[in-house]
Amino acid sequence: MNVLRDYVAGLHQPALVPAAGSAVLPGVRYDELVEPDGSLRPGWKPLAEVAVTIRAADLDRVEAEIARFLADDGVTYSRPGQRRAPWRLDPVPLVLDAASWKALEVGLAQRAELLNAILVDLYGDQTLLADGVLPPALVFGHNGFTRIMARSGAIDPRPLVLSATDLGRDADGNWRVLADRTQAPSGLGYAVENRRVLSRVMPELHREADLHRMAPYLWALRSALLQSAPEDLADPRVVVLSPGSHSETFYDQASLAANLGFPLVQGSDLVVRDGWVLLRTPLRLERVDVILRRVDSAWSDPLELRGDSQLGVAGLAEAVRRGRVRVVNGLGAGVLENPGLQASMGAMCEHLLGEALRLESVPTWWCGDPDGLDHVLSRLDELVIRTTDGTGVQITELAPDLLRRRILAAPHRYVGQQRVPLSQAPTWTRGEARPADISLRTFTLRYGSSYRPLLGGMASIRDGDRGIGSKDVWVLKSSAAEPDQGLAEVRPMTAVRSAPSTMPRILEDMFWVGRYAERTEDMVRLVLAAHVLAEDYRTRPRTTGGMSLEIMLGVLASLAGRTSDDLDEEFRSVLLDPERPGSAAQSLAALRDALAGVRDQLSLDVWRVFGITARAESTLRASPHGHAIAESAGRMLAGVLSLQGVTASMIRDPGWHMIGLGQHLERSLQLCRLLRVVTARRGLEVDREVLTAVLASAESAVTHRRRYRDYVRPAGVLDLLLMDAENPRSLAFSLDQAARHLAAQQASTGSTRPERLLDELIAEVAATDTAALVAIGGVDRPHLTAFLDSVEAQVGRLGDAIGSLHFATGPRPRPFGALQHRPVVEEGAS
Amino acid sequence: MRYQVTHRTTYTYDDEVTDSLGVAHLIPRDLPWQQVRGASYLVELAPEPTDLSTSTDYHGNLVTYFQVVEPHRELVVTGRGAVDVVAPTAAEEHLARPWEGCRPIVEPTAAGAWQATDFALASPAVPMHPGARDYAAESLRPGRPVGEAVTELMHRIHADFSYDATATTVTSTVPEILQRRAGVCQDFAHFTLAGLRAHGLAARYVSGYLATDPPPGRQRVVGADASHAWVSVWLGEGEWLALDPTNDQWQNDRYVTVAWGRDYGDVPPVKGVIFSEATTSAPTVSVDVAPLPADQPVPATDQGDRR
Repeated sequence: MNVLRDYVAGLHQPALVPAAGSAVLPGVRYDELVEPDGSLRPGWKPLAEVAVTIRAADLDRVEAEIARFLADDGVTYSRPGQRRAPWRLDPVPLVLDAASWKALEVGLAQRAELLNAILVDLYGDQTLLADGVLPPALVFGHNGFTRIMARSGAIDPRPLVLSATDLGRDADGNWRVLADRTQAPSGLGYAVENRRVLSRVMPELHREADLHRMAPYLWALRSALLQSAPEDLADPRVVVLSPGSHSETFYDQASLAANLGFPLVQGSDLVVRDGWVLLRTPLRLERVDVILRRVDSAWSDPLELRGDSQLGVAGLAEAVRRGRVRVVNGLGAGVLENPGLQASMGAMCEHLLGEALRLESVPTWWCGDPDGLDHVLSRLDELVIRTTDGTGVQITELAPDLLRRRILAAPHRYVGQQRVPLSQAPTWTRGEARPADISLRTFTLRYGSSYRPLLGGMASIRDGDRGIGSKDVWVLKSSAAEPDQGLAEVRPMTAVRSAPSTMPRILEDMFWVGRYAERTEDMVRLVLAAHVLAEDYRTRPRTTGGMSLEIMLGVLASLAGRTSDDLDEEFRSVLLDPERPGSAAQSLAALRDALAGVRDQLSLDVWRVFGITARAESTLRASPHGHAIAESAGRMLAGVLSLQGVTASMIRDPGWHMIGLGQHLERSLQLCRLLRVVTARRGLEVDREVLTAVLASAESAVTHRRRYRDYVRPAGVLDLLLMDAENPRSLAFSLDQAARHLAAQQASTGSTRPERLLDELIAEVAATDTAALVAIGGVDRPHLTAFLDSVEAQVGRLGDAIGSLHFATGPRPRPFGALQHRPVVEEGAS
Repeated sequence: MRYQVTHRTTYTYDDEVTDSLGVAHLIPRDLPWQQVRGASYLVELAPEPTDLSTSTDYHGNLVTYFQVVEPHRELVVTGRGAVDVVAPTAAEEHLARPWEGCRPIVEPTAAGAWQATDFALASPAVPMHPGARDYAAESLRPGRPVGEAVTELMHRIHADFSYDATATTVTSTVPEILQRRAGVCQDFAHFTLAGLRAHGLAARYVSGYLATDPPPGRQRVVGADASHAWVSVWLGEGEWLALDPTNDQWQNDRYVTVAWGRDYGDVPPVKGVIFSEATTSAPTVSVDVAPLPADQPVPATDQGDRR
């Protein structure tokens, strides 16, 4: 049976129980798919032919594909204080026809114009306050009002470049504003990803719908940011300032930066000198002209705003006031996120724009106004109570008495908002399309002299106040001839500024990408080699094989400890437990973190690695059988190895070389740790078995067989793994590669400390004679032990030296001191 | 009165500082009762700053931004210059008005009320505190003239709270001050503001200096030769009454007004950020407010330090 027909039929069943937690009866909601008479809404009509063919099995498949695509792209969202969770996208889009969109579009453009005018006024002449349009306590009592930006002569005439507005549709089908997002609007990156995924998993429907593609809007945003530069510069530098990879919407930030072709930076990547904002690169400081800000204003400048912030740039506010950098949106734009402003939006529109407000807000009462206070206190149970500055979101859960007392103690900090019956749309839940509440996030951009809404957006599936999933938003064209986004003139992104900037922080992340990728690979190989021995010999401890197994397990324990006597459990834990130090899972998680920090620098393909490993992990978790260990480890190995396929297509810039440098240093280190087992002697048979496992772990078994037949002895193995310049897994080869990658760094001169250390190490290895290393002294090989000790120590020193030369960003900013005001009287008046 | 002011803050570090940015409120405002002696009132830095500029902040104060990038182990920030001061006056009819009429949020259409609102709300260092409200209620009895009510509040705070430089740090909160019943001038000011604002009055934090060198027979006052802080209460329209709870007196011609804001956080004399591995040491502050005969020429600023 057809899914959407079922949905429609379901809507017309008499509802037996009113929807839980809702004061609104079912049936009075606006449905986004069907008219009250059961026919399709205009937006869906052109899609009807395809839409009616969609069956439950199709949507189940699509749902699984969406999850896989999103996992492969590494799309995540994290709630404050929680782990990163996968982003959720519903397979059924929200479809809006051209005619009904048009009215909304005009309203959104006016709203952005109005919001910009409010900002200019509040940070400038303050006529809204002086003329009594807006109550002063509403603004002065809001923590978003940033006084350091309200200075005459420093007023940005266009502080608002990109805004977002959340809308809900009432029972009559009218959109109402739920909230404005102006501080650092998020969601555009998610919207782009939603479209990318949905167009791939629902190709028929997507083809059928003549909808506005999003790309021209991103080009327009890029162009708007470039044009925001304070002077008429030929090639302005734009950066996206992020709070870092642990931020809630980091994916959104990185994805937007990558889509726009601007570097994603953090506060520590920028410095202020003489009122200019500069970007640290290895060789010099480069001027930054425009900052797309994703750090909240209060955290943007530890000098003049929150002094405890490590996310900002000291001196940024002064640079902005001098007009030497444009911050988008302007510092202080968060003052507009005060829900109390919604109560006066109409009056402000009349006052500032001289026209009637087109897009109405949800009815809102500010408690700082005596009438508003009375209204709210008499309807505490019906209204949604919010604080003006967005803190204390949980206040609606307070007991009415307590809530009343809180409001009365500081009325100007509270607002009451009417609960609007949101519209509903079919949402794929447990094998069936059910109606769910939705809200719509729209985006508006200042392009040229006017504001343009994105023809599209992101819909949130809501459970009360909480978003529990998203939907792509399709706005259809009025005719096939209409240009995408109505932007015929915008030019596609052409040459993105030459090489992406290589900041020390990025180089550091790249270095660790190389190291953790190699560490993961080596650990998985070791598990595979040990597992082969375990399958054959675990029940025969005193045999040659059994002893070899113990030796290989010893290597494993030296890297990742030992937590279980049960071998299968031990292997599983090393593969799966990210909390276990030294485990493959831990290295993989660290690899993911390092990659997240440089997300905008890399192809999206990089996230497929984790799609593959995650599926291998879940297979292993699901299967109790021993053979699943080797199978899943093999797939994890394939996943990690696929990273090299991604880096192979990277531009050969210093970042790419840093990955190579990290990889080869790590390989040198891991090799030394592995070869420790060769230092002991245990009889010919055991030695041979162990050496074979070592060769397998070091991915050199095939090479060895071709070179030495089956004649496995220490001298040959050491020669192949240490000295052989043609074996890509050898120490000599790895160090040589490391030297090449190091030489390609911008800060390398040929005589820097890391280069000297590496040259010395290479010379020492070259001068070493394998025959001397295998020489026996007593029960083991003392020369080999000393050699491995020496190499390990030198690689460690080299890593430190690379860190202090190439990754140093200098000390973090700190306040002058907390006691500066306490007077110390040193001299009296005469 | 004419004063020559020298306010020097010295930061010494145990390691090299390569980059230091700061913001200073050290140059007094020009006011009806106070004239700054032209452009000779300056902020000086050692080492030499690469960036130094003074502008007017949101509250109308002069604020100086600076950056020093020369590596240093000691940073000296000096505000220096001369200023003429007379005692500010408040009109009797304003002082006699019942205090309830001076609440800008309750009387939003009164002249000047919208600007005064900024000083009637809680601010980061002056939260609404029931203890401060109850304390002030005894003085703010219904219908009482505002001048009398706030003056009595000042007397009570001076009597009930002791001046004790060891009782508090710059970060003392209003509840801490109330509990200890002691503090420095800034704590007296913050507590007074909390009491006044809790009842809807608008009051601002004033940062400046108080001259010593008392005339014969008068007592030396506390807070002398240091940066000082007091408060100023809105009387309606553009009128404010400045009073000093630390010294139990209205502002007179011995007070130099540097800057005002909602609380200390808006107008610290010097604040800044350093980039260094150093552990910051407590800064030393020296303030000298020397009376000058009105007919004596103002000393040139390059005459050197008194130290």
